[in-house]
Amino acid sequence: MTFYWEVAILLPRMSTKEHNERIELLQGTLDLLILRTLLLGPTHGHAIAKMIEFNSAEVLQVEQGSLYPALHRLIKRGWISAEEGTSENNRRAKFYRLTAKGRRQLVVETSKWDKLAGAIARILRPVEQESK
Amino acid sequence: MNRRRRMLKDLEQDIRDHIAIETQENIERGMSPDEARSSALRKFGNVVRVREETWEVWSFTWLEQFFTDVCFAVRALRKNPGFTIVAVLTLALGIGANTAIFSVVQGVVLAPLPYPQPDRLLMVMESRPGLNQTGISYPDFQDWQKSSRSFAQMAALTSRSYDLTAPGTSEHLEGMEVTSGFFNTLGVKLARGQEFSPSEDRPHGAETVVISDRLWRERFASNPEVLGRALTLDGVDYTIIGIVPPNFRIWSDVDVYTSLAQDEPLLYSDRTIHSIVSIARMKPDVSMGQAQGELAVVQANLDLLYPAADRNLGINIEPLKQSIVGDAGETLLLLLGAVGIVLLIACTNVANLTLARSAARTREFAIRSALGASRVRMMRQVLTESTLLALIGGLLGLIFAVLGVRLLLAKFPDALPRSENIHLDIPVLLFTFGISLVVGILFGLAPALDGSRVDVQSSLKTGERGTTRAHPRAQGILVMIQMALTVVLLVGSGLLLRTILQLWDVNPGFDRQHVITFKVGLSPSLTMTAASTRTAYRQLVGRIREIPGVQAVDFTNVVPLSEHNNTGPFWVGAQQSTAMQDAPHALYFETGPEYLQVLHIPLLRGRFFASTDDSDSEPVVVIDSVLAHTYFQDKDPVGRLITVAHWRTARVIGVVGHVKHWGLGDDGTRSPNQIYISFYQLSDEWVPAFARDLSLTIRTPLDAAAIMPAIKNVVYGTGKDQPVYDVQTMQQIAADSMASQRLSMILLGAFAALALMLASVGIYGVLSYSVSLRIQEIGIRMAVGADRHHVLKMIIGQGLRLAITGLVIGAGAALLLTRLLSAYSRLLYGVRANDPVTFIAVSLVLVFVSILACYLPAQRASRVEPIAALKYE
Repeated sequence: MTFYWEVAILLPRMSTKEHNERIELLQGTLDLLILRTLLLGPTHGHAIAKMIEFNSAEVLQVEQGSLYPALHRLIKRGWISAEEGTSENNRRAKFYRLTAKGRRQLVVETSKWDKLAGAIARILRPVEQESK
Repeated sequence: MNRRRRMLKDLEQDIRDHIAIETQENIERGMSPDEARSSALRKFGNVVRVREETWEVWSFTWLEQFFTDVCFAVRALRKNPGFTIVAVLTLALGIGANTAIFSVVQGVVLAPLPYPQPDRLLMVMESRPGLNQTGISYPDFQDWQKSSRSFAQMAALTSRSYDLTAPGTSEHLEGMEVTSGFFNTLGVKLARGQEFSPSEDRPHGAETVVISDRLWRERFASNPEVLGRALTLDGVDYTIIGIVPPNFRIWSDVDVYTSLAQDEPLLYSDRTIHSIVSIARMKPDVSMGQAQGELAVVQANLDLLYPAADRNLGINIEPLKQSIVGDAGETLLLLLGAVGIVLLIACTNVANLTLARSAARTREFAIRSALGASRVRMMRQVLTESTLLALIGGLLGLIFAVLGVRLLLAKFPDALPRSENIHLDIPVLLFTFGISLVVGILFGLAPALDGSRVDVQSSLKTGERGTTRAHPRAQGILVMIQMALTVVLLVGSGLLLRTILQLWDVNPGFDRQHVITFKVGLSPSLTMTAASTRTAYRQLVGRIREIPGVQAVDFTNVVPLSEHNNTGPFWVGAQQSTAMQDAPHALYFETGPEYLQVLHIPLLRGRFFASTDDSDSEPVVVIDSVLAHTYFQDKDPVGRLITVAHWRTARVIGVVGHVKHWGLGDDGTRSPNQIYISFYQLSDEWVPAFARDLSLTIRTPLDAAAIMPAIKNVVYGTGKDQPVYDVQTMQQIAADSMASQRLSMILLGAFAALALMLASVGIYGVLSYSVSLRIQEIGIRMAVGADRHHVLKMIIGQGLRLAITGLVIGAGAALLLTRLLSAYSRLLYGVRANDPVTFIAVSLVLVFVSILACYLPAQRASRVEPIAALKYE
C-alpha cells in the first residue's frame, strides 16, 4: 500500500484520469525534495537527482528529466536561482542555489508535508494493523 | 521575455551536461560507452517532453491554451456548418432582439437627460380638482419665481408655431416661447450668442429669436455672422441673438425660440388662463419633497390673495425626465421582458442542439480523455466553443439590432419620446457583450458538464457511430419550457392585437373615412385685424369649396383624436356661479358652420351654426350629448344659456353627438363635456390666438395626393408666402392615436412569431434526433406488424405530448402575467386578460405548428424499412 502511494507521487506524468487529479500534490512533493536537497548547498541538476535517489535509499526513482521542469518552475517563483559553476570533475555546469525566499518556503512546505504525512499515516495505520 | 529565452537556451546545455555526467559515471562503473549513453538516456526519460514541460513553465500557458481552444473551436464549428449556421442565426435573432430593445430602453429610460446635474431638473405644473396636471398661469409663475427659495432658477415655456417668410421660401416652423433663463435653467450653453435677457422678456421688449442648428444650416448656410440678422416670423422681423447647439431637443423638434412675455398680453396677464408650463432647477441641497412643500405654501398664499382665480389650485412636481419619458418606460419594460423570453427560447434551442451534438461527440471526448485531457480542460474546451458561438451570434445580432431599430424609428417616428437619444453607445455594446457571454456559458454549461463526464472505457467500446447516449428527458423538458414561454408571448401579442382591432372598430362619434386635414399659414397682410382675419378665412373656405371633389370644407381649432387640448370652465346659466377651479370644464371647438358636414357628426337637436351667426348677432353655442345629459338631464337644452369663461354668456342652439377626442379608447373620464363656438363670433382680442390653431378639414372621396395640388394652388393664389402643412387623413390621425399600442403589438407580435419559429425548430430538432435514435426500435415494431400509419401517429403523439404539456403550463403563466398587464398598464382596451378567444386561437396555432414541426420526423420514421433498420448496427 505505502509503496504504491510513493511511486505514484514521483511519477508526475501518469496519464490516467485518477492520477491527473493529483498532479498538484505531485509537483509540490518533487519541489519540496529539490528545496530540501539544495539546503545543503548549491549544486547542479545531475547531483540533485543523485542525492534524492541516494538519500531515499533508492526507493524514490526520480525520472531524471522531470527534474528540469521542476527546477525552472522554482526559478520562476524565485525560490532558487541558477548560476554558472564547475562540477567536481571540472566540467562547466549550471548550479542551482536556494534563495532566501526559497528557504522560507521550505519551512512552510515542510510543515505542510508533515501535516499531510501525519494525516495519511493516521488513516493508514489501522489498515496496517488489520493486515498484520 | 529575454529571461525566458536565456533560460531555455541554458536548458539545452543542462540536459546535455546531465546526460554526459551520467554516461561518464556509467563508464566508470564499467559499461561500454554505447551502453553507458543509452542507459543514461533511459534514466533521463523523454527529452522532448522535458523540453516541452519546461517551455510550458516559461510560457503564458493560460493564454496559449486559450488560443489553442479558440482555434480548435473554430475548426470544430467549421467542420459542422449546418449546426453552426443554425446556432449562430438563432442566437443572433435572440441577442439582436434584446440589443435592439435594450438600446431603446437605454436611450429613452435609462440614460440621464443630457444636461448638467439632470436629476436637479423638475417639471412644475399646477393641479386642480379632478385633474392633477394642468398648465399654469403666467402671473402665478411670476409669483413662484419671486417667493420660492428652493430653486436655483425657474423658467416657463409654451409651444407656439410660426410661419417663416424671410429669408427664403415660406415655411411653417415649430417654435417655443420661453422666459429668460430657460437655457440657463437646463444648463445648456448656446452654440453662438446669448439667450433672452429679462429686458426682452416683457411686453414691448425687443423682438429677438434664438434659432435651431438646422435653421442656421439650411437658411443661413452655417454663416457665423448670422447674429443680428433678421428672421421674419408671422410678418414680424425678429433679430437673431443665438443659435442652440446641434441635437438640442426636449420634447420635440423646435426651430425658433422667442421670448414668452412679450407675446399676446391677453394670454399672459390673466391669472385664470393656464397656458404655460414651467421647469426648475433645484438648489443642490434641496430635495424634491422640500421643493414641493415650499411651493405648496407659496401657492396656498396665492389662493388666499386671489381667491377668484387661484382657489383650490395645487402644485404638481415631477422630475423633468419623467415628464419627458411619460409612460413609455412601462411599455418598454414589458417589451424587454418579452424579448428576454425570446432569448431564453433561443438559448434552450441552442442548448438542445449542443446536447444532441455532444452526444454525437462522446467518442471524441473519450479519446481525448484517454489521451490525457483533464476534465477541467475539456469543460473549458466545450465552453470556449459555446462562448465563441454566442459571441459570433452577438456580433451578428448587433447588426440585426442596428438595422431593426433604424427601421422601427423610421416607421414610428413619434411613438417614442427621446428617440433622438437612441444609438449604439457603450452601455449597449457592453450589454450585448455581456448577454452574449452569459448566453454562451448558459447553453454551454449543460453539455460541458455532460461531455466532460465521460466514461472512457464504455464509450470507446460501444457503438461505432458514437451516438450512444441520448438526453431525451432533458431535451423534452427544454422543449416544454420553450412551448410554455412561446404561449406567454403569443397570448400577450394576441391580446394586444385584439385591443387594436377593438379600438379600430370603436365609433369615435364621427366618420373617419374621406376626411383630410391640413393647416394654412395665412399671409400676415391678410390677418392684420380680427375683421380681416375672419374675412380671409371665409374666403379661403369658399374658394376651397369650389374645387371639384371637395364635398364639404370648414375648419376647427381642435382636430379630434389629435391630442390638441383646449379646455376651459363653463357655467350653466347667465353668470359665473362658482370659482374658476370649481366650475365644470369642457373641451372647446372653435369651428365654422360646415364642420358637422365634414366630419359627419350627428346633429341631435336644434341646429348647428349658420353663416348668419357672426360678431353682430347673438352669441350662440352648440353642446354635445354628454354635456346635455349631465347638465340638462331630460329637459331640452336648446334655448338655455351657458356662460363660457373668458368669453360671454351664449344661447344653446343645438345638441350634437359626443366625439371621442382623447383617443379611441377614451373612457370619458377626461374633460368629457364638449362645447362648439363659431369662430366668427369670437371676440376680436381672441381671434389671433385661435386663428393660429385652425386646421382646415375637407370631406372628399379623393386621395390626399390627388386633391392637395388643387388646394395648394388655391392657397398660393392669394399669396405665395402661405405655407400649407400638416396634411393628414383622419384615418392617419386615428392610427397615430394608437401609436403606442401599435408599436407594442407589432414588436410583441414579431417576438411571438420569432418565439414560435424557434420553438418549432426546437421540437423538430428534438424529434428528429429521437427518431434517429429509435430507428432500430421502429424497425422492430414494423417487423412485428405495426403499419406506417401507426408509427406516424406514435411519433407525432410524442411531439404533441411535449407541446401540449408546454401549452398548459404556458397558459397558466400567461393568465397570471396578462392579469398584471391589464392591472398595471393602459395598453389593453376592450378585452379581458383571460379573453377566451385569444387563448383558444393561441392554442390552435401552437398545436397546428407543432403538428407541422413533428410531421417531417414522423414521416421519416414511418418510411423506415424494417430490414434496413435492423441491419443498421
